[in-house]
Amino acid sequence: MSATRSRLVQIHGKNDNNSANGRNCKLFLLVLFLLYGEKFKQQEDLCSKKYAMPLGPESLLLRGARLKNTKEIFGVAIYTGMETKMALNYKSKSQKRSAVEKSMNTFLIIYLIILISEAIISTILKYTWQAEEKWDEPWYNQKTEHQRNSSKILRFISDFLAFLVLYNFIIPISLYVTVEMQKFLGSFFIGWDLDLYHEESDQKAQVNTSDLNEELGQVEYVFTDKTGTLTENEMQFRECSINGIKYQEINGRLVSEGPTPDSSDGNLSYLNSLSHLNNLSHLTTSSSFRTSPENETELIKEHDLFFKAVSLCHTVQISNVQTDGIGDGPWQSNLAPSQLEYYASSPDEKALVEAAARIGIVFIGNFEETMEVKTLGKLERYKLLHILEFDSDRRRMSVIVQAPSGEKFLFAKGAESSILPNCVGGEIEKTRIHVDEFALKGLRTLCMAYKQLTSKEYEEIDRRLFEARTALQQREEKLADVFQFIEKNLILLGATAVEDRLQDRVRETIEGLRMAGIKVWVLTGDKHETAVSVSLSCGHFHRTMNILELINQKSDSQCAEQLRQLARRIKEDHVIQHGLVVDGTSLSLALREHEKLFMEVCRNCSAVLCCRMAPLQKAKVIRLIKISPEKPITLAVGDGANDVSMIQEAHVGIGIMGKEGRQAARNSDYAIARFKFLSKLLFVHGHFYYIRIATLVQYFFYKNVCFITPQFLYQFYCLFSQQTLYDSVYLTLYNICFTSLPILIYSLLEQHIDPHVLQSKPTLYRDISKNRQLSIKTFLYWTILGFSHAFIFFFGSYFLIGKDISLLGNGQMFGNWTFGTLVFTVMVITVTVKMALETHFWTWINHLVTWGSIIFYFVFSLFYGGILWPFLGSQNMYFVFIQLLSSGSAWFAIILMVVTCLLLDIVKKVFERQLHPTNTEKAQLIKANSSIKCLDSMCCFSEGETACASVGRMLERVVGRCSPTHVSRSWSASDPFYTNDRSILTLSTMDSSTC
Amino acid sequence: MIRVRPPLPSPFYPPPLSPPLVPQSSLFFLSPSLWGPQPTPASGRRQSAEGCPASSALQRRWRRRLRLRVFCQGQQAGPLGGPPALRGAAPWGSMAMNYNAKDEVDGGPPCAPGGTAKNRRPDNTAFKQQRLPAWQPILTAGTVLPTFFIIGLIFIPIGIGIFVTSNNIREIEIDYTGTDPSSPCNKCLSPNVTPCICTINFTLEQSFEGNVFMYYGLSNFYQNHRRYVKSRDDSQLNGDASALLNPSKECEPYRRNEDKPIAPCGAIANSMFNDTLELFLVGNESHPTPIPLKKKGIAWWTDKNVKFRNPPGGESLEERFKDTTKPVNWVKPVYMLDSEPDNNGFINEDFIVWMRTAALPTFRKLYRLIERKSDLHPTLPAGRYYLNITYNYPVHSFDGRKRMILSTISWMGGKNPFLGIAYITIGSISFLLGVVLLVINHKYRNSSNTADITI
Repeated sequence: MSATRSRLVQIHGKNDNNSANGRNCKLFLLVLFLLYGEKFKQQEDLCSKKYAMPLGPESLLLRGARLKNTKEIFGVAIYTGMETKMALNYKSKSQKRSAVEKSMNTFLIIYLIILISEAIISTILKYTWQAEEKWDEPWYNQKTEHQRNSSKILRFISDFLAFLVLYNFIIPISLYVTVEMQKFLGSFFIGWDLDLYHEESDQKAQVNTSDLNEELGQVEYVFTDKTGTLTENEMQFRECSINGIKYQEINGRLVSEGPTPDSSDGNLSYLNSLSHLNNLSHLTTSSSFRTSPENETELIKEHDLFFKAVSLCHTVQISNVQTDGIGDGPWQSNLAPSQLEYYASSPDEKALVEAAARIGIVFIGNFEETMEVKTLGKLERYKLLHILEFDSDRRRMSVIVQAPSGEKFLFAKGAESSILPNCVGGEIEKTRIHVDEFALKGLRTLCMAYKQLTSKEYEEIDRRLFEARTALQQREEKLADVFQFIEKNLILLGATAVEDRLQDRVRETIEGLRMAGIKVWVLTGDKHETAVSVSLSCGHFHRTMNILELINQKSDSQCAEQLRQLARRIKEDHVIQHGLVVDGTSLSLALREHEKLFMEVCRNCSAVLCCRMAPLQKAKVIRLIKISPEKPITLAVGDGANDVSMIQEAHVGIGIMGKEGRQAARNSDYAIARFKFLSKLLFVHGHFYYIRIATLVQYFFYKNVCFITPQFLYQFYCLFSQQTLYDSVYLTLYNICFTSLPILIYSLLEQHIDPHVLQSKPTLYRDISKNRQLSIKTFLYWTILGFSHAFIFFFGSYFLIGKDISLLGNGQMFGNWTFGTLVFTVMVITVTVKMALETHFWTWINHLVTWGSIIFYFVFSLFYGGILWPFLGSQNMYFVFIQLLSSGSAWFAIILMVVTCLLLDIVKKVFERQLHPTNTEKAQLIKANSSIKCLDSMCCFSEGETACASVGRMLERVVGRCSPTHVSRSWSASDPFYTNDRSILTLSTMDSSTC
Repeated sequence: MIRVRPPLPSPFYPPPLSPPLVPQSSLFFLSPSLWGPQPTPASGRRQSAEGCPASSALQRRWRRRLRLRVFCQGQQAGPLGGPPALRGAAPWGSMAMNYNAKDEVDGGPPCAPGGTAKNRRPDNTAFKQQRLPAWQPILTAGTVLPTFFIIGLIFIPIGIGIFVTSNNIREIEIDYTGTDPSSPCNKCLSPNVTPCICTINFTLEQSFEGNVFMYYGLSNFYQNHRRYVKSRDDSQLNGDASALLNPSKECEPYRRNEDKPIAPCGAIANSMFNDTLELFLVGNESHPTPIPLKKKGIAWWTDKNVKFRNPPGGESLEERFKDTTKPVNWVKPVYMLDSEPDNNGFINEDFIVWMRTAALPTFRKLYRLIERKSDLHPTLPAGRYYLNITYNYPVHSFDGRKRMILSTISWMGGKNPFLGIAYITIGSISFLLGVVLLVINHKYRNSSNTADITI
């Protein structure tokens, strides 16, 4: 700040530091200086004069701004509080929670209720039982004085709490730890996935939020941006229409497109112009431009003007530095001939300026107030007088320049809807037709117009602009008025068409999403025709689809009427698929009053396209869907800053790491490089994570029910005295050591179906929709299973030991700890084997942890029971486990109980699979050439390498006989999709032909 | 012929939708794998593109060329000839790479030529790509059916075996609580008669062979009550001198008596069973023969020898227990439980047996052993016997029962038909389920075998 001040002093030479007013003035001057630079120096002693200089959004340096042409600037922090854009955005980003987490909380509440009711039941029973003296305090088990004298209420409460403590394991605290670990560790697999790695841009998938992994398997609506998401966002100048004649750019030349019937005024001149144009493009290098025939100058002038307009009316910046630190800039292009790099805030502008450069009118840069353009090698300097910035309401921008000849021109560029109405000259009708044709091809169109200004006109414009720009109140309105005043009576020059190529495999991805039962909405800011044609080309809309339109609605009532009509049409033929096109204005009307009706229509359409959308509208649409009665899970995909609001609004936000900065990727939950990766992300990763976490949650509840119910049952046999069935060490270690790893590893590695099958059959995604694996039915199943297993453990052991029979060959007896240990042993084995039954993907890690857990339990118990622990007060477990294992009956009982428990579950599983197989279960039977797959993975695994060499050679003989197509199909990890379109439609099963 | 720099640096990521199926693609697949080294999960080697000495790079490249050529020839001249299938090709490629990588360890980390290695590319390891070799079992009727039958076939014989074994065990149970007025022990219910000795006659219909075990059983006695279970001091019982004089607080209210620590302290010890049972065979002669009862070997060996120990010190046991007092309900102090020194004090087996708290309110505890004398004579021949009871232990206050049980033992313990029946039941159910499943499998074969996925 001190440097700034000294600079300021230098400028003004005098320093009136006597009042706060003066200081404020100085600060203001500083700002002015910063804003208006050298121009400001000339203004004399502004402090004394009353002179208003407004500050606007354009004088703010936004985040991500880049310094250019200067080493340093001075800035003033205007505001750093909680209402800055960043802080507001930060605040609005609410914590996203997955559906699984929500249902988990519901289950927890149910279990809390079970816990409390068990505790209450126990407490009540304890007191009814204890009413009799002989049970409360028999002669052999007297209370202490203290216990006898404590108050009844206190005793009651402490008893209740003691039961709560006894049963508290039913609420699995470790569940949260395990879930978090699973989510965190599991999310690495997304980043590691080679299928989600984009070679060209060297980008792998990013996980910003690991909390939502499983939500990827629950998506019902996909909202996608178009530009940069479905398309490459690599604008290529394709066609233009100049003065009513269409041209195509082919290899840097403009070629007129086939004979247009409209070009009636002189076929000769047309042909000539064509040849001339060819010449022109040739001549761009040979600079013998002026040798062309006289009668063509008119045409040339128009072309000249058109391309001048293109190369002048923009806000493109130039960087001559070739390989510098900012090489990762968004719009960097390597324009080889001129060694120029253009940077533009919009890719269209860049494409246009580049195209103009290829044609021969090269924009070299703006130096101070002039723009330099090299026309066919000849340098021309245009003085830049004003820029009428682009804004989304006007949808156009203009520049006012002074040509070298001294003439002043206004060039305007913008959407056809905003330019054409303001034109008075030029081939308006033909251009309109051409623009529509371009749009039908899915090209992005812009219209160019110009106007020559007399100096008188310019003076007025200058004055009015200055007034508006310096207005302190209602500046925006005033500016808009002035702009409107300036940008009228234009002469149309023509239109440009820029192509935005579709990303590869977008069609298949959208097709897959639809087959998975996901509704795809495309939200774009593009114009209606462009959007529809892109939608068609990317498969979002089918040719067979009945496309309904809700566009250009002006009034409320009209909109409502249209909506009702659409709803009727949908009802009439519900067989055919419907697609809906809505534009921004109609949407805001529809959302204002007729939300329900609109939602009704939308829900019945399989594809919805919203065009001309403002960023906030995108978020609003998502919000609307989110809060609709079904509460569907939404996913938003976008690549630009304008998609951030929608990405944050949706349940799952996916950022495309495209060319439009990292804003979206940074604000998203997951960032991927290409739209096509969405299919793997959802169908494979989402599906896996969902299955994994759903099983994890259910299993955790199950195993804790198994764990604690015997304790509850035991209370009935010990006078509700809160005697624990298991030793305290076992109580502690059950969730930590004995049963934690198999489920964790399962939840990280489980693949119940081959990932290739999952990806090639998106319909499988429907099997897990609507949180099906965590429905109340499955929850009840697991809970009941847990209880029944617990009953089997407890009563099995009860009938074995409880009939007070010796189980040992030497007639000696067991005690209560042996009883508990027997129950516990059966439980650990059953619960672990139950996990094994759930596991469909047995890697060596699974084997290790599953059998390892059981072995660990045995080893630990032998060790724990084999020593008199010096620091423990009681030696209850001393040799208990070993004695238990020395009993043959105990072994038989353990086997019997484990088998009985699992029999129940297996029977249920098998019968269900046999009688009502789900698609997933059917798909599990599809074996994607498992032997080779196994080998392949074995080879990647280091120990397997050497072993593989021999096995591989052997297997190669087998594989060698297979038809190459078949093998490649089931093999190639990157070809998970359909090999042809037919398989998409007919859903033929993957032929697992044998060699 | 050999492409040193592949067009695609990623070997395992062929362009989607267009997997190269042409034969030369094997080469295409092979060569890049040399430039994209893959660290294995076990070693965790991460090869960096930086720091590769330029001098050795060329050499290495040469070596690679050679190796590659050799390898490629080997491929083409494979036993079957023809283009190796793509699916198989990549692993071979990776194998070749791995060998190379191993060979080149001496020359520093191998690096990609030209330093064009992409940094952010995920490693192509089986673990990271979730391609670990895996066994993928699926529970279908087909795979489960044999299991059901096998379980049935194994369990039913086991069950029958266990059941028969259990049935061969002789057991007799005599309730001597004396609540029934006609019972000889009825007189002992009043606390005035001390000592009270009663005699109960019974007849063994069949002779008991082998070792016979004598138990006493109590009912409605909650040894598993929490307050009771923890009312002991294991360090005192283990002979800890300080715990002997200062027993654990858990022993309250049986911790101290008359300002002296109780040894053994706690409710369990205090309520030790103190009836004396004697068994007599009434033969043909007029005077009955007493059956010798062995009182050693009724407690767990480890309890007797490790867990329970008399306190150290003095010559006589009495001296070791000085400054302590007997439990309130006991008649004699702990050092007078038995005449034999190795069965006295804390290591008295009756005491140890009692100290192992029972799991359930109805329990048995081993009281005495009746050892087999010879192979020829049964241990307890059929005939009339009488049980002589010194009735001390009061149970009627809590509706308890007292029993005396005589039982023989098999390898699997006492008479317990449950296990056998359970095995037979589960085995039959399993077998039955197998049959049902077989029928269903047969009936619904068509619907389940077609793996059509319906939308």
